[in-house]
Amino acid sequence: MELTRRQFTKYLGAGAGLAAFGAARPAFAARDKEMNILCWEGYNTDNVLGPFRKAFPGVTARAESGTSDPDMINKLRAGELKVWDLINVNQPWARQQLFPEKLIKPLSKERFLPYFSKMSPEFSAPYPLAFAESGELIGMPQRYGPFSFVVNTDKISRKTAEDQGWSLFLDPAMKGRFGVLTYDNWNVIHLCLTAGVNPFKAVGDDGVTKFTEATKTVFGGAKMLSDDLVAMNTALINGEIDAYFTGGTYTASPARFDGANNIRAITPNSGPVDGKGGVVWVELTSVVNNPDVSPLAEDFLEFVQKAEIAKAVSFAEGTYNPVSQMGDPAIFKLWNNAELDAIQWDSLSEELSRSADFSVVPDYDALLKIYTAAKRR
Amino acid sequence: MERINQRLGVLSALPVVVFLAAGFLAPLCVVAAFSIMPQKVFSLANLPDFSSYALMIQEGYWESLLVSLAMAFAATFILFVICWPLAFAMAKVFGRFTLVLTIGVVMTLFVSENIRLFGWVLTLMKGGLIEGYWRSWTGQSFDGLLYNVPVIIFGLVYVYLPFMLFPLAQGIAMVPDDARQAAFDLGANRWQIFREVELPLSAPGIAVGCLITFVLTAGAIAESKLLGGRAVIVISDEIERSFTYGQNWPLGSALAMTLIAVVGSFAIFGVTRIDLDAIMGRKR
Repeated sequence: MELTRRQFTKYLGAGAGLAAFGAARPAFAARDKEMNILCWEGYNTDNVLGPFRKAFPGVTARAESGTSDPDMINKLRAGELKVWDLINVNQPWARQQLFPEKLIKPLSKERFLPYFSKMSPEFSAPYPLAFAESGELIGMPQRYGPFSFVVNTDKISRKTAEDQGWSLFLDPAMKGRFGVLTYDNWNVIHLCLTAGVNPFKAVGDDGVTKFTEATKTVFGGAKMLSDDLVAMNTALINGEIDAYFTGGTYTASPARFDGANNIRAITPNSGPVDGKGGVVWVELTSVVNNPDVSPLAEDFLEFVQKAEIAKAVSFAEGTYNPVSQMGDPAIFKLWNNAELDAIQWDSLSEELSRSADFSVVPDYDALLKIYTAAKRR
Repeated sequence: MERINQRLGVLSALPVVVFLAAGFLAPLCVVAAFSIMPQKVFSLANLPDFSSYALMIQEGYWESLLVSLAMAFAATFILFVICWPLAFAMAKVFGRFTLVLTIGVVMTLFVSENIRLFGWVLTLMKGGLIEGYWRSWTGQSFDGLLYNVPVIIFGLVYVYLPFMLFPLAQGIAMVPDDARQAAFDLGANRWQIFREVELPLSAPGIAVGCLITFVLTAGAIAESKLLGGRAVIVISDEIERSFTYGQNWPLGSALAMTLIAVVGSFAIFGVTRIDLDAIMGRKR
């Protein structure tokens, strides 16, 4: 067939028109056959989405993994409210940013409250921070973990690290022997703890002075800074550093699961938050306040409570974490010894008892300024 | 006839102009507008102020900008020195081997920058390729070679080499062999030929290569994060952090606008001084 240039242009135009129409069409379609989730790594794996697709045939389930809580929240703020049905972030971001700004909506208590009773003791009450101040249930907790610092136990024993706690990083003997995992919001909390200040209350002038001192000492003594947990674990394993500031089961677990059992997340024995020196993060998965939200969003939230799926979420690619569903003995038996060791199950409950909940830092803005300036120097 | 042609030209260019305006200018305008919003707002429906720019000066964010610019200058200069002989060989000496070299250099671009840099981390770290071999041969250990400023500049040089090499080779190819030979015949030495013949005649290629590498290195972030262990904080890092952990879009926008303004002025200054037609070989 011979094609003149004019015909070619005509067909090209027609094709482009059709393509545009095709692309626009899904915007008008009912959303009962699709569900989009914005999450930390784990919920986007085939081990989680595959069984969901099988259980709900004909459904298109998409998931995108974010690199930080604020990164994901920015997507909703930048107008992607219509795109996503579920969002999975750490509890303070959901309670303090997403819910007050109407970016997520409450869950049905009738449907979801029963799931709490089978969770680990810390969550079965039910977990108070899954609720907004006004009492609405705003998300379901699943993954969690103590988050303080990580050491190489060949160089610094677990007991020494736990006893010495945060002051380890102020010790002149540690200068040049540790790294800082630069998760800014966590660093600010941990630097407060290092300074002996409770970050979850107004710190006052005295607190600011202590925080400034601690920040200078920690950054002055740090050998390396990185926001990459793999880089941090690598440096710890090859002896470049002996500990890293800010880290926990979440960051240490990949190294431990690979056989480096000398890499251990530490929760200090004591600290300034009502005697507690550690902090624990808990993720909440919430339904996005999408004007045309998929009815499958809550189905998915219910689906991930199942034993095999909870296990898949716990041992997704990248990092490994305990999940609240492990409180159910029938679910718990799915983890083998190596997996339990990777997530430090042996000390998990005592570590949790020494950890305060990751919460809002009232003086965050002022402290962040000091932190940023110290880091730059 | 010419007027009709002109009008047709304008009409034909219109779709592309609209596309470029929507694709490039609109996001820039949004960033510019956000940069004059009050602190920590997420909408443009607020009374403008310049608090973000004030904050940038008061809180020392300009230091990061200076650090980025200084490293960009250093990387651009080193790249020029390294690439000149190679580009000269590609344009004048290697002949067919140039193609092999071109493919080799271009191939590196197919691999993600982060992966290539992580390869260097594994090479330079303590217990990595270099220190590990050294220790096994000599029994002596030394600290890794990472987490300092020179290694960040090394990363910049490594990643942005193709962006200097190819424009430079293009520029050198424009220097007629006759001119060089004539200079030789008239008694010029190598240095004089380089300075008075090759450098001025290949200036457009040099300018393009330097501009591209400078603009890219000034905004680079991965090298400082992966190789440098943030030994210094670069401006792109500050911008990223303002938008994410800081949740301060106006501050991030103000930092971005300042970077765009500084780098843009260099670029405009450079572009007005070179003749792009000459590089494309269409000089009339």
